[in-house]
Order: sequence, then C-alpha cells, then structure tokens
Amino acid sequence: MFGIKKLLFRDQPATQLVDDVRTGLEQWRDSATPGFDEVHFHSRYVVVDIATRSRQAGSDELQSISATVVRRGAIRPAESCFVDFTGELDADTVDRQLLAFLLFLGKAPLATYHVAYVEPFLQRVMRERLGVDFQSQWIDLAWLLPSMFDEKSHTPLPLDRWLEIFALEAGDGRRDPMENALLIARLLQMLLVRATGKEVDTAAKLIAESQAASFLRRTH
Amino acid sequence: MNTQQENSMTAMENSLRQEGLRRVSGNTATFLRRHAPFNRMDAGALAFFSDHAQIAFYPAGSEIIGPDAGNVRYFHVIESGKVYARQAGEVTLTEYSQLHLGAGEGFPIGAVTAGRPSTNIYTATEDSFCYRLPAERFLELMASSPEFNLFCTQYIASLLDQSRRQLQLQFSQKANEQQTLNSPLSGIGSRTPLHVVPETPLRQALETMSQAGIGSLVIAGENRKPVGVFTRSDLLDRVVLADLPQDSPISAAMSPTPFMLEEHATAYDAMLAMATHGIRHVLVTDIEGRLTGVVSERDLFALQRVGLRQIRQAIDAAKDIEGLQHASGDVRLLAFNMLAQGVGAEQLTQFISALNDAVTRRILQINLERHAFDGIDWAWLAFGSEGRDEQTFSTDQDNGIVFAPPEGESVDALKQRFLAFALDVNKDLDRCGFPLCKGNIMASNPQWCLPLDEWKEQFSQWIRTPQPEALLNATIFFDFRPLFGKSELADNMRRHLLGQAEVNPIFLQAMARNALDVAPPLGKLRDFLTDLEPDNPGKIDLKKYGSRIFVDVARIYALATGVHNTNTGQRLRQSAQRLSMKNEEINAIVEALNFIQLLRLQHQYLEGEPGEQGHNLIDPEKLNELDRRILKESFRQARKLQTRLKLDYQIN
Repeated sequence: MFGIKKLLFRDQPATQLVDDVRTGLEQWRDSATPGFDEVHFHSRYVVVDIATRSRQAGSDELQSISATVVRRGAIRPAESCFVDFTGELDADTVDRQLLAFLLFLGKAPLATYHVAYVEPFLQRVMRERLGVDFQSQWIDLAWLLPSMFDEKSHTPLPLDRWLEIFALEAGDGRRDPMENALLIARLLQMLLVRATGKEVDTAAKLIAESQAASFLRRTH
Repeated sequence: MNTQQENSMTAMENSLRQEGLRRVSGNTATFLRRHAPFNRMDAGALAFFSDHAQIAFYPAGSEIIGPDAGNVRYFHVIESGKVYARQAGEVTLTEYSQLHLGAGEGFPIGAVTAGRPSTNIYTATEDSFCYRLPAERFLELMASSPEFNLFCTQYIASLLDQSRRQLQLQFSQKANEQQTLNSPLSGIGSRTPLHVVPETPLRQALETMSQAGIGSLVIAGENRKPVGVFTRSDLLDRVVLADLPQDSPISAAMSPTPFMLEEHATAYDAMLAMATHGIRHVLVTDIEGRLTGVVSERDLFALQRVGLRQIRQAIDAAKDIEGLQHASGDVRLLAFNMLAQGVGAEQLTQFISALNDAVTRRILQINLERHAFDGIDWAWLAFGSEGRDEQTFSTDQDNGIVFAPPEGESVDALKQRFLAFALDVNKDLDRCGFPLCKGNIMASNPQWCLPLDEWKEQFSQWIRTPQPEALLNATIFFDFRPLFGKSELADNMRRHLLGQAEVNPIFLQAMARNALDVAPPLGKLRDFLTDLEPDNPGKIDLKKYGSRIFVDVARIYALATGVHNTNTGQRLRQSAQRLSMKNEEINAIVEALNFIQLLRLQHQYLEGEPGEQGHNLIDPEKLNELDRRILKESFRQARKLQTRLKLDYQIN
C-alpha cells in the first residue's frame, strides 16, 4: 500500500518519534513567532496549497503539499517547498518530511485559498504523525478577495473565476499542485497591494481582516 | 539535536526545497519557452534563468524602473500586462518616446548589462506580472548562453530600425502618407509619363504638351528607351531664339542624354543627382533601360520649405558673395530638414558636400572674374572631410591648388597669381560659413598651392619617409578630390599616390601603426571611457575616438588595394571586395560609422547655432538607452576594424 493513509490513525501520537524528529520538533516549537506588525513588504508570507485524492467518498487522502514564499513583493523560486506523500514511504520519512515542512514554514503567516478545506488536512496529518496541534495564522484568499476587490465580486467565487477576472493564465486542464500554489501566490501579491491601499498594511491586520471576512460572510 | 540529527533534518529540508524549486522553475520555463530568445536557449540556460527568476507584481500606474532608482538590479520579462517605456533624459537621436512592451518582452537590456541606472522610465500601464532576474545572474547568463547574448545584442540593433521609423513619423505631418527618402523611385512621381518618338514634329510635340498641361516631355526611341528631354526652357533657347522651324523633329530641340536612374534607386539618389547636376527631372527606367516614370524635384520636396532646386538656383545665380551667404545658410537649413526626416548620415554628408561644392564652385567662378588663368591647366582641390564627401555642419576649409605651368612660363610668377586668387577665395569661403583652417591648410598657403610635379614629389617624400608629420599630412592630403578645374590633374596625382603606396609597404605599415594609436573609448567596467580628454571630463570626442578610426583604417585599405575613392564608406566597401571580407561584416562596420556620424550631425544640429562651430563632444550619460547601446556597438565595430588592421599589418 502506497501513500500516507496507512501511516495515519496512530494510537499514540508522537511517542514513537525518532530522536531527530522529536528534537527538531522542540526546536520548531521554541522558535520565535515573527512580529506580525511589519508592513507587507517586510513580511514573509508562505503560500500553501495541497493536492488530495479521493479514495472513497468522504475520505480524501493528502497527496502533496506545495508551498512558496512571497517576500519583499516577490515570489522566490529558491524559497519553495514540495512535500510528496505518494510513493512508498516509511513512517520515519513521512515524519521527517512533515517536520522539515514545519521548519520551512517557521511561524510565518500562511496564505491559501479556502482555509476551511486546506487546514483540516494539515491539522490531521500533523496531529496524527507528529502530535502537533497545527494552529496557524491564516490568510484566506477565498474570503479576502471579495472583501478587497468588491468591485469585481462581493461574494466568494471559485479560484478559477478569480484567475479569469485577473486574466491570469492558468493553463488548460488539471494544474500541477505547485502551479496552483504559484497562482494563489500571484493573487496574494495583487491582494497585498490592494490591502496596503486600504490601510490593511500589516500581516496582523490582514489576518484579522481575513477572519472577519469569513466570519461575517458565513454568519450574515 | 546533535549534529548528525541536524544534518539529516537539513538534508530533508533541502530535498523538499530542491523539489519545490524544480517545480517553480519548471513552471517559469513553460512560460519562457514560448518566447524568444528562450525558445532557442538550451535546457541548461533556460533552467538557470528560471531557477533565479523571481515573480513580481506591478499594479497599473506603478513605476517599475526609473533613473532615480540607482543601478538597475533586475532584468524583467513581462509575463502578463503592459509596460510603457519613455525617455527620461535629453531627447536625442533615436527617440522612441512611445514604446509599449507586452508579454514575453524584456527590459532594460542596456542598463542591466552596463550595471547603471536606466535612462528610461518603465511604468506598468496595466496590472503586470514580471519575471525578474537579478542583474548578476543576467550577466552570468550573458556570458554562458550564446543565444541569450546574441538576443540581447541584436535586440538593440532591431530597435535601431524601429526608432528610425519613429523618428521619421515624428517629423512628418501625415505619417502614413509620408514617403521617406529611402523609398525606391518606382513609387514616386509620375508613373505614366508622356513620351514621344524623336521623329515627332516639333509642333505636334508642343501641342501634346499643351493639351496635357505639362512643362516637360520625354523623348524615347525604340522600346521606350529615353533619348532626350524637352522642357519649356528648351523652347525658349533652342526653338524660339534659334529660329527652329516647327516641322523639325523634336530631337533637334531636345536636351540629349537625359539623366536616368533605375527604379530601385532611392529618392536619395534622385535628390543627389539633382543637386550634383543641377537638373530638375530624373527619368526612371526599368532594368532594361525602358522609361517607366519621371521624378521631378517637386515630387521629392513637395513638403519641404527650402527646396534643393531653389538653393541650387540661388547658388548658381548668385552674383556676389552676399547672395551665396544666403544660399549657404539655406544649405544648412535643408540639411537640418533632411536630418529630421531620417536621412542617413552617409547620404546626408554627401548632400552637404554636393551643395557646399556648388557654393565653392560659384565662389571660384566669381573670383575668376578678377583672376584669369586662361590657357593654364589647374584644379581646386578639397582635402580632409571635404575631400571625402563627409562634411558635417561644422567643417572648416581644407583646400589647395594644383596647376600645370605651361612650357616656358615662370612657375613662381604663376604661383603668385594663384596665391592671390586663393586668398580671395579663402576669405569668401569664410564669409559663407566655411571658417578659415586653423592649421592653414588652404590654397592661399604657398605650401599647398603647387605645380603638379611638386605635389607628386611631396607625396613621394611623405611616403618614403613616414615621419610623424608626414603621416599626419597623409591623413589630410591623401583624401583629396578635385572640386573645380582640370580634374585630370587630380587623377594624375591619384595614380602617382597609389603607385607610390604600392611600392612602399613600410609606409602603409607606419600608417597602420599610427591609426592604432587611438582606441575606441570602450570601458572594461563601464560602457564608455569618458576621461580621455582632460579638458572635457565626462565627454567623448566622437570624431577623435569614433569616426576618425574608421576613416584612418579605410584610407590605409584604400591605398593598399588601389581604390580611387576618397569617401570612407565607399573605400571600405570597395577595398572589402578586394580583400574578400564578408559583406555583412563590412556593412556592420559602415553602419557603425554612419551611426557615429549621425550622432555628430545631430549633436551639431542641437548644439550649434548656424554659422557657429559645432563640436564633437558628447556626454554619453545624456544619450537615451538605445543610442548608448548602438554607440557602444559602433565602438565595438571600430575595435573590430582595428583588430583586423593589426593582424593585416602584423602590429602588436
């Protein structure tokens, strides 16, 4: 059996972690959280996207995580990361991959499209493999785009619609996971400019705005 | 974590990052591959670009690069959106004030190559995404990828054409109706000219003209091959005043041997012919010599305020120096107009020379009324740039006289008479805008007013003993051209010169050594060396470090291969044929010279008030990016030419 599925549902999370993973994890836990009060230009945003495969109804399986960084206004190819859960993997390798991914993230604010979809997959794999309660500061473009670009749409739209609206070339057919992350990163770049114009000019304000947007729109 | 543990975690993180980078880079490469030059680059070079290319977003209206932002740090390739480039500096030759860039296009090539601030302002006119490669990576790629290097170099060259066209558009009122002087004659003037056979009775020919309401008629024989032209002025001189009966054939009244050009000749050629021969019409023929059209001066200068013919007429009709002063002012004005219309340097300098020749000839004629040399063979010689047909707006006099004293006549007495004549001419030329020569290379100087034998002896002496002064003189006097009088004397001098040069290889070697004394001002780190002239820091002397290099090398090759021409472009092309140099190679060199000349002309035009001495010092910082790049390429061509000379003459 390939994939990550067989490695989930561990009874005793985190107790069987190999030494290097356990100490690495401590290191990550102890690492400082960056101040979120820097302006966007000086903040490091990690754009995260996941690819899943539907094995059976109601239980999608995480296949890969793509991540790239927007820093000082630019997407930086050297600061990208791809975690592949397909293929034959032993438990320690998966643990190391996840830890390496955490170390790559640091405590940076994360951006994605539909936190409600992405976050549970990450939380589950982190909890079940590493015993980590993965609570990140999220910027959800699905909710923020209609909030910041309300002249284009004031209701949430599918990602592809936004790509169309902004004339971002998305290619035909199925995109590879990193391509998707890069498109979301471009949307984030546009969003950061717009947000600055609306005085939502720091990571903290953007996170707050993201939470407010999703809360308000879901509840009203 | 101990070191080993740390290593294993670092290795894992690195491998995830590697995979991330590979995928981002692949994504970028997919885009780039659709555009030049990336589609031609090998996989390694493309991956290098993609690995290091950041993706940046520029909202509509934001400035991406500007002169105030310091040295350019990134080379940009537009992924989506539009970018608008406009010049920030002084408006110069190749103004391309409206340059819109779209997906797949890169900027700013010149500035990033040179590691200096951009002279253009690049603004996103739409929301735009760009791939941006750090300047140091750009340079690495230039060094490692021949395709990328070629692209960046050629890009500049391709813009040259574009900018020329735009320059022309800018000056023309009706852009799309404007026919440039580069157009072939097949598209200009009358395409169905009336013509009659030579046997046509005069009366019938005149009726034809009257009915058609035309002022001139082409006389063509068999197969429509033109044999003459009949104009209204012929009517007066050759019919009415000559009492020619009206039943005579038109051939008796026409001007025979009309001036003809083939269809593929350009409007320049027609213009030059009109200026040189003082004619008003040029017949156009196909390759077989059959009449296909007539181009009149009016066709060429319909839009021009100062007409060539008017100037030519004014010059020829001038009774005194005052009249000529006015005409030579018009020459300058006409040249400015032509410059503005995008006429190339080679043609333009030839025009200025042709019209200046006419002025000079008229001055000579006027002075000959007071100084008669009947029965004596003599010629007025032009030296230096005038001798090469390369006059710019500010050219001082370089002239001399050669004469052949008749048997038994005192050479000294004759020389005194020529000197007196020359002094008057030199002064008049000065009054007409050709300043006296500071080096006193003028016909009124006894040294340069010589009988044929002495000229030849002088040439021989310089060639036999190539001392520094002799070499300097050679660069001025060996570019001679007869302007007036007995041109056979000059031909004689030329044959002698070429013969002497042939048998004295040491001389050409010395000339070559001399020509290599000055190198083009290309910097190792910066684009240009601008500190070569201590009195003019920051400036480049385009004559000393530019055009003169081409001129000097061309002279040597012309002497070495027996080319009679004095014009640098012609010398290079002709000697190249004899030296079997490649066409494209020599074209690039001539283009480079032309660009430098054009820059000089433009600069003199902008800087110099009419009548004032323009100069050749330019500040490269004030050129726009395109001109800088082309200038740099032009200097490279100069260096190439020097390298070839060095090899050919074994000079280390």
